[in-house]
Amino acid sequence: MNPLIPIMVILPIACALLLNLLHGKDKTIKTLAIMVGVVLPIIPLMTSFGIHYFGGYAPLIDDPTIAQGLPTSITDSALNLFHPAITYAFASAQQLFIFILGIVAFFAIFTSLSETKRVSGVYTFLMFMGTASITAILLSDDIFNLYVFFEIAALAQVGIILCSGIERNYETALKYMILGSIAAPMLLLGIALLLGLTGNVNITDIIYSLKHGLIDPYNPLLLMSCGLILFGWLYGSGLPPFHTIKSAVYSKALPHGAALLQAFSVFTFVALGIIIIRIFSYLPLTQWAIIFFSLLAMVLGITMALMQTDFKRIIGFLAVGELGYIGLGLGMGTAFGITAGLFQAVNEAIITSFLFIGFGTILYKTGISDTNKLGGLLVENPWVAGLVLIAGFAMAGVPPFNAFQSKLQLVQASISAGFPELGILMVLLSIITFMTFVKVFYTIYLRPRPKDLEIINEKIPKATIISMVAFLVICLVLGLFPHLATDNLAQLAQGLV
Amino acid sequence: MIIDVQLASFLTAGTLIIIGLYAALFLDNLIKKIIGLSFIGEGANLFLITMGYKPGGIVYIFLPGMARDWFAQNAAYPLPFAMVLTSIVIGASTLAVMLGIIIILYKKHGTLSASKVLKD
Repeated sequence: MNPLIPIMVILPIACALLLNLLHGKDKTIKTLAIMVGVVLPIIPLMTSFGIHYFGGYAPLIDDPTIAQGLPTSITDSALNLFHPAITYAFASAQQLFIFILGIVAFFAIFTSLSETKRVSGVYTFLMFMGTASITAILLSDDIFNLYVFFEIAALAQVGIILCSGIERNYETALKYMILGSIAAPMLLLGIALLLGLTGNVNITDIIYSLKHGLIDPYNPLLLMSCGLILFGWLYGSGLPPFHTIKSAVYSKALPHGAALLQAFSVFTFVALGIIIIRIFSYLPLTQWAIIFFSLLAMVLGITMALMQTDFKRIIGFLAVGELGYIGLGLGMGTAFGITAGLFQAVNEAIITSFLFIGFGTILYKTGISDTNKLGGLLVENPWVAGLVLIAGFAMAGVPPFNAFQSKLQLVQASISAGFPELGILMVLLSIITFMTFVKVFYTIYLRPRPKDLEIINEKIPKATIISMVAFLVICLVLGLFPHLATDNLAQLAQGLV
Repeated sequence: MIIDVQLASFLTAGTLIIIGLYAALFLDNLIKKIIGLSFIGEGANLFLITMGYKPGGIVYIFLPGMARDWFAQNAAYPLPFAMVLTSIVIGASTLAVMLGIIIILYKKHGTLSASKVLKD
């Protein structure tokens, strides 16, 4: 057992609770948030791979002292292998995901602390709480524990929207909660069905029951459970029919908040997607459902981005569209495809954060996010404009940035998996993404400046620029050395096939 | 006619979920929508708790004097009950946040009509 595994969840929760109590003490909040923020991406790098059993309750097979004296009806059965407590599993893929989540969380918190004049302990609390929840979702091998953190993450996301002070944020938050209050019980029902059929909520044990004939894998209730969990997955990650509300959620959060929210969506998408594949991959319908909703997300997300005038909404829809690429990778069902999909997830979390924080500088300087009212801002901060341009190129998959590598791998995987049409579609949609971005960039930075456009903040905080440069460096490093990520992900992908 | 307790619970859970879905999707008043959403959550909780029902079983509290094997054979499955407790807490928190938002929206718009408050 490795005690650092639960620390990855406990530390941000403890920090969040403390920050909430310290609300009003700006200096202390800043110091504490920065200190814990720096530690967040470091812990997964220091933690050795393994399993953590809460309460120390390992399966009987791993703990012969407890097994002694128990009846043979227990020790000679599958009960000997089952996990009696909540289990967290930490391997190379989780290490990479939690590291990237930590990086995004740190820079989002760092930017928020420097851009906000009056530091809010509540806002920082929500950012840490959300980060802790998503880390737990990535680590948990217990599907009910995952549901609990899924709900906490949803509440943290709503809180981040409520703290933004942006017009109509309360309306958007309520809509998101109403939809969540339908989707979450559906997810719970799916879990309840799995529990009823297998007697277990531990994912490894559920898979054992399915593979060893302890339950009929073609029981119609399992199909129903798969559908219900899939519904929860669509809500959690913002795939259609929840794409509109998800992009609205991003647009009603402050840019640093939106950067973190999209990372939450990406990693929820990955975590739940992996669980769906692990449990239900023997049902061909699962693969097709993942591909169908991913395609829908790509087409709807990217085409709807074209029609928007608010740049936060545009990035929101583009982020939803990019999720489709990850889903296609997962849906292909080959190790190469899944690795490419997971690599795309890592890249998307970084690039979309880069874009949100980059475009956030426009909001900071002008207080406007409507592209019709903007223009000629290149002369204000040409270096920042250059960084935003690079972020857009990275999202569209322009070399030598990271998304180029993952999208190239996805196209190659689609061809080798026998889905060349998916590859063509991915290339076409990348071109549309590029066009959308160029249009937005031209409107904001290059066309003549409207006469009534006022600059409310002259200087962009250094922390924002540092964050953007850090994201650029990560994009370049992963673009030039993709094996740094793919080596970590390949092992998980092999296990899923 | 005697109906099996477990079947009756499943039917009640299903009915609660259907009524809840109807209220959440088709009623215009925000408070009624929230009540509907609570019905869905409670339906899911009832469904979950019904999973742990054991006909003729006993409460899963190991009392002095009980034989271990007898207890193991007769006690209800405790896991769903523990899960439902957590789920109730989550549901209550979500409900509180939603009601808080509705109070603010009512002060802002002067109405509880979802079609007026939530329109884009």
